[in-house]
Amino acid sequence: MVSDLSSPQNQNHPDQNGQPPNGIDFDNFILEIEPDPLEGNEDAVQTKPESNPNLQVQFKSERGRLLLLLPPAPEKSRNPVHWEDLRQQLKRRLSGTERFLQPHTPVHLIARDRLLDSQQVQEIDALLSEAQLPLKRIYTSRRQSAVAAATAGYSVEQQTTLGHLGQGQEASQQAMDEPLYLQTTLRSGVEVRHRGTVIVLGDVNPGSSVVAEGDIFIWGRLRGVVHAGAAGNPQCRIMALHMQPTQLRIADQVARSPEDPPAQYQPEVAYIGPDGIRIAIAADFALADLTTPETT
Amino acid sequence: MSRIIVMTSGKGGVGKTTCTANLGMALAKAGQRVAVVDADFGLRNLDLLLGLENRIVYTALDVLAGECRLDQALVKDKRQPNLALLPAAQNRSKEAIKPEQMKRLIKALTKVYNFILIDSPAGIEMGFRNSIAAAREAIIVTTPEISAVRDADRVIGLLEANDIKAVRLVINRLRPAMVAAEQMMSVKDVQGILSIPLLGVIPDDEQVIVSTNKGEPLVLDEHLSPAGTAFINVSQRLQGEKVPLMDLSIQKESFFTRLKRLFGA
Ligand SMILES: Nc1ncnc2c1ncn2[C@@H]1O[C@H](COP(=O)(O)OP(=O)(O)OP(=O)(O)O)[C@@H](O)[C@H]1O
Ligand SMILES: [Mg+2]
Repeated sequence: MVSDLSSPQNQNHPDQNGQPPNGIDFDNFILEIEPDPLEGNEDAVQTKPESNPNLQVQFKSERGRLLLLLPPAPEKSRNPVHWEDLRQQLKRRLSGTERFLQPHTPVHLIARDRLLDSQQVQEIDALLSEAQLPLKRIYTSRRQSAVAAATAGYSVEQQTTLGHLGQGQEASQQAMDEPLYLQTTLRSGVEVRHRGTVIVLGDVNPGSSVVAEGDIFIWGRLRGVVHAGAAGNPQCRIMALHMQPTQLRIADQVARSPEDPPAQYQPEVAYIGPDGIRIAIAADFALADLTTPETT
Repeated sequence: MSRIIVMTSGKGGVGKTTCTANLGMALAKAGQRVAVVDADFGLRNLDLLLGLENRIVYTALDVLAGECRLDQALVKDKRQPNLALLPAAQNRSKEAIKPEQMKRLIKALTKVYNFILIDSPAGIEMGFRNSIAAAREAIIVTTPEISAVRDADRVIGLLEANDIKAVRLVINRLRPAMVAAEQMMSVKDVQGILSIPLLGVIPDDEQVIVSTNKGEPLVLDEHLSPAGTAFINVSQRLQGEKVPLMDLSIQKESFFTRLKRLFGA
């Protein structure tokens, strides 16, 4: 159930007046699907299922070089990133971060266990080149990808274990990633996931979503679905110049916009108050609410 | 036994989602327990037409991933509690789900709902195969246009090959004046090609667009528009009632406007 913003969180499942035909209380029933008959077999093959579902294409600076981390193989992820999505994510990341990237910084592509063919490697190279970033080397744990990249003339390192170069700790690491900065309009169907704070310089259109383990800042119109503190942190906040979301989520709380929109929008902040998700005008929020977590 | 019905067309944009929303709502109004399932992964729309987009917390994919139970993903309609929506994921490709998974979802729904309407995506690829996987009946939606009818014919063949035998036809967006002027295929013309039982004819009606934008199916209107009446009729025929076809053929373009003038002001 999704509660209205500014109305108290709904009282769970009213228990009265359910007439059960075929033995089911229509107002309050539990329904589960049968387990996947194949699941057992597939799991046996998997080394370890990806524990963090929020991994997308990601840049990381490390001692004068730039790591481009690809999300894990789609077969192994709960939020699989297929090639076409991957390409879009890379483009989007480049559009936001480009200005902060030192041109000619060598890029090390960490392909993990993804299968890449030579054309895909070339496409990644082409996108990086547009941002004046040379692709220096490719690290992969898949023989096939290594061969494909090498045939296409790239320098490759095949790793049996994902030990070094930043990617090994990913799943276990507690600290969040550095903020993700996007300069683009997120259109319907786009989902941005990040293990940290997300800043969008642009609009978040209806039908798109941002899932961040940290805060979310929208320097534009927020009209899609955003989820801050997605790993469970209720202290996270959502800020937008123009707050008109389809839905807001912080940690495990959900709220949607009131039916009638205000006549005028001003920058607002959403946070978890004593009775669920609340919204405050940004200018007032700094004074009034920043101190409440300690006092309540 | 629950009725499991897929709405499909082959060609895109002919009115599958509009039909699913209105039939689902009409059946629920008639006291049936109805689940509408959005099988259009990647380009979901059904939630919008029902005005339920902002109530979606989980989708069918979350259920399959074991992140929530099926009942938690169902969005119950406040206006009509007999109706629930199982949302599709917006950001996934149509390959994100397999026919076998669709079957498990639908099978569980039959424990609670007696009508399950599945809104199929356009085309005849994976999304289509998912949406027909669990269906026992099909409603073919077509417009009276050569291309739509051609695609509908192809789909009927595919349904037959998949052992879905109860296949019935809804002709959408008929414009009687154009038919009269022989500028549009008539109901007879369409039936002549497809030769499957006719479930109903929905006139082209600008109220459809108004209702889409409001997120309120036409059949909820207090004063039913022509298309709204036609949808109610289809829902009654689906439940086995004998309702005569609305006589669209003799109506001239001005009929409804005249009617409105009579009763409106
Ligand atoms: N009877 C009607 N009169 C007027 N407009 C209609 C009618 N039926 C559908 N439309 C309009 O046609 C368009 C397509 O309808 P709809 O989305 O239901 O089609 P669809 O078959 O589900 O499309 P898709 O293949 O993309 O899923 C919409 O803009 C809708 O408002
Ligand atoms: Mg549709």
